[in-house]
Amino acid sequence: MTDARPRLADVGYDTVVIGAGLAGLTAALRLAEAGQRVAILAKGVGATHLAPPTIDVLGYANGPVDSPAQALPEFAAANPEHPYRQLSIELVRASLDWFKARLGDHGYRGGLDENFFVPTALGVAKPTALLPETMAAGDLREGGRFVFVGLRGLKDFFPAYLADNVAQTPLPGRASVTTRVVELAPPLGEARDVSSAGFARRFEQPAFRESVLTELRRNLVPGEIVGFPAVLGIGGAREVWRELETRLGHPVFEVPTLPPSVPGIRVYDTMTSALRRQGARLVIGSTVAGAETGNGRLEGVVAHTAGRPLTYRARSFVLATGGFASAGLELDSSGTVREPVFDLPVAGLPGQNAPLFEPGYFDEHALSRAGVAVDESRRPVDDEGAPVYENLHAAGATLAGAVPWREASGNGLSLASGYAAASAILEVIS
Amino acid sequence: MPTLETEVLVVGGGSTGAGVARDAAMRGFATILVERGDLATGTTGRFHGLLHSGGRYAVKDPVAARECVVENPILRRTAADCIEDTGGLFVSTRWDDPGFGDDFLRGCQATGIPVEEVPVAEVLRREPRLDQGITRAFAVPDANLDPWKLVSACTRSATEYGARILPYHRVLGLEVSDDKVVGARVHNEVAGDELEIRAELVINAAGAWAGQIANLAGCVVTVLPGKGIMIAMNHRLVNTVINRCKPPSDGDIIVPIRTVSVIGTTDVRVADPDELEVTPGEIDEMLDEGEKLVPGFREARALRVWAGARPLYTPDDVTDTRDVSRTHTVLDHAKRDGVEGFITITGGKTTTFRLMAEHAVDTACEKLGVNRRCRTHEEPLPGSEEERFYWLGARVRAQEPVPNSEEIICECELITRRQLTEAIARGRPAGLDDVRRRVRLAMGPCQGGFCIYRATGILHEFEHLDHQAANSALLDFLQERWKGVQPILHGDQLRQARLDDWIFQGLLAVEHLPE
Repeated sequence: MTDARPRLADVGYDTVVIGAGLAGLTAALRLAEAGQRVAILAKGVGATHLAPPTIDVLGYANGPVDSPAQALPEFAAANPEHPYRQLSIELVRASLDWFKARLGDHGYRGGLDENFFVPTALGVAKPTALLPETMAAGDLREGGRFVFVGLRGLKDFFPAYLADNVAQTPLPGRASVTTRVVELAPPLGEARDVSSAGFARRFEQPAFRESVLTELRRNLVPGEIVGFPAVLGIGGAREVWRELETRLGHPVFEVPTLPPSVPGIRVYDTMTSALRRQGARLVIGSTVAGAETGNGRLEGVVAHTAGRPLTYRARSFVLATGGFASAGLELDSSGTVREPVFDLPVAGLPGQNAPLFEPGYFDEHALSRAGVAVDESRRPVDDEGAPVYENLHAAGATLAGAVPWREASGNGLSLASGYAAASAILEVIS
Repeated sequence: MPTLETEVLVVGGGSTGAGVARDAAMRGFATILVERGDLATGTTGRFHGLLHSGGRYAVKDPVAARECVVENPILRRTAADCIEDTGGLFVSTRWDDPGFGDDFLRGCQATGIPVEEVPVAEVLRREPRLDQGITRAFAVPDANLDPWKLVSACTRSATEYGARILPYHRVLGLEVSDDKVVGARVHNEVAGDELEIRAELVINAAGAWAGQIANLAGCVVTVLPGKGIMIAMNHRLVNTVINRCKPPSDGDIIVPIRTVSVIGTTDVRVADPDELEVTPGEIDEMLDEGEKLVPGFREARALRVWAGARPLYTPDDVTDTRDVSRTHTVLDHAKRDGVEGFITITGGKTTTFRLMAEHAVDTACEKLGVNRRCRTHEEPLPGSEEERFYWLGARVRAQEPVPNSEEIICECELITRRQLTEAIARGRPAGLDDVRRRVRLAMGPCQGGFCIYRATGILHEFEHLDHQAANSALLDFLQERWKGVQPILHGDQLRQARLDDWIFQGLLAVEHLPE
């Protein structure tokens, strides 16, 4: 018979982070850079693999936002329960600068003062604060003549539909945009159905690029800006993108596609490599279910991995397990909302028996803003506003008060709140 | 106003109307069918998908049971491609009166339903997820029946026999002249124009809406819409139709059909078949009843909920719709109301749709003074010529010989790009919801999270839509889907729905599409 009692992890940690999405990775990397011994425990990879690589700080607040820096004070005032209410503009700005520096290889551009407007795969000009170099030429604000490239065999990108919408999309400053489409039939061998990750691997092969370049070159008119689906390589994306720009002699940009998000995987790879270089331990496939507590503090968490449960002890903990999409929050069939790891109090819920959802898909749904409320030190609090544990901090989509998929604020909130959780932990130590 | 002439005009594009149109066309009548929406979008497309053995009616409604006994084997022969031969079981759970099993057995024997008591141990081997406390079980020839395939096959056959099928044509009025219905004024819901159809006979096959149509000719037909809700659960929790062995009641059946298991149903009298609200209490009741048959039912993923309106014809005032017989009625309005050229066929159920059509067209022959024999019980529907039942693995098998030889647009239901474009071409103009019914697009666990962006892109390209038409197809679909999923969102399915929100609202910014 196997012993089911948790075994103690070999070493104690300064901080254990639960969740490996952008919020968890950000908190972990900052703490590791500050010299902490850090472990990240995650059930699986996080939303980086689903979401675009842009850092959307605030894209929509009663219409598209031109400048997050200008819009945020009013937005926070109008939404007193929103996480941005507790995250100062200086902190958000610092988190963006930090991220740009860490993702140096990606050539991130932008900042808090003005949003780019880049096409989604539906052709909507979507506002975002930071984007990687490979997406920068897609900024529609200056207008221009755009060509969208279709790849036969990729079912997650419909350039003709996208181009029709881009041509009709209202742009700030009334920039003029024209669009057209070039459909390519790159060599896929026997395969007819290739995923975006499959295309990304092919783009890293010189022969494949060569055939794309040959076919595309004869179809371009000088001055056109060329939009590809975001499948231009994974590890070697920057080189692939540079080669396409140089050899085509046209600006080239990527448009994010349906999950899996190839450019999101690049972000994850870069951040996890940096974490490993800093000596952090990353355990994917590890579900945290159980805690050891004492004197109002969290002493350790019990992680279930292959084999028997393992207890990780640490001085501080960060909960970054995401929202409902990532099972960081759960709703059961009787209507009860739970935070499953620590059973933390859930804020932002409607009253007893009030409906959680409205009949219209785009209505404001009561459940959307449910989540964990935190104090100034980013610690989950109970109904009275007192921290549940002295040394537990929360970040990312678990937080109450936001509708990030609708506000275009998801990665911005994850980055800023992950950054802030690390700051709070470092402050306590210093 | 453009005018069409025909002998028989059928109103209603559910299974009954489609069956009537086919039967009439096969008997040589010039036939036109009009339906206000897409085909099979009323009650037919909103039931649980059961091909009755008759067992459900064995004790309480022997007339309806006997009709099922006759029709079940006929459909197995002539509509095999629309049927998966799952078999059915009536099981006595620990909540059911064990004595009812004997009544059930006697009822089956009296009405001719092939029935066999099966040892409980064997049933639990066959269906291991069933509650272990079952005390008795009886096997009957229930099966599942795909309503969309059925109606599609009927209308295809009708067309081959010369009928015209006009979906998205709403009847605005019936033309009555000298106490005779001589035609109808219909509105083309897509083109927006009006059309006059002159007919020697109008057959009202509008099911739960039959009272509304009859009213247009000044006839009063009381159809009590009986609302029934159904919930599609992810996966096949069972592979046999499972009925509770007790008098008919709410949540007494689970029908495994295609990739899901459907639990049903309720029966509530409602005023308007277009206003079918699903309440949280009804959902809770379904989940509770499901839990009694399959422990863990509440933790399974509920994909979608919908409600249908049974057309319960009642000659007198009846208050409980479950007391109305599930047999059908043909009303000759000449005899009944002194209005010539007009008959109504109503009541009944999908299992007996063919018989209903036969009776309606028999009456039509009588009225038109001809004697032409019905052949729908002999001639298989298109696709069913080989009398081979549909098999759950069919779509996988089609892909197996050469993997990756086609693009799979909907991974949940294994729909290829070619199948999708064929479904679009099958009836124009096609919205995404129409395509959904034709090939089960977006009916799987992700409810269109991935395939609907793709399907919109394909629709845009294949139908040469402009951005507005494509965008409204997408937005309409998202709203229609929300209607079916929001009442049952919890657990893993909420997780899925939130991922879909991130895709459509976050990644794609669908809310900000240009006008």
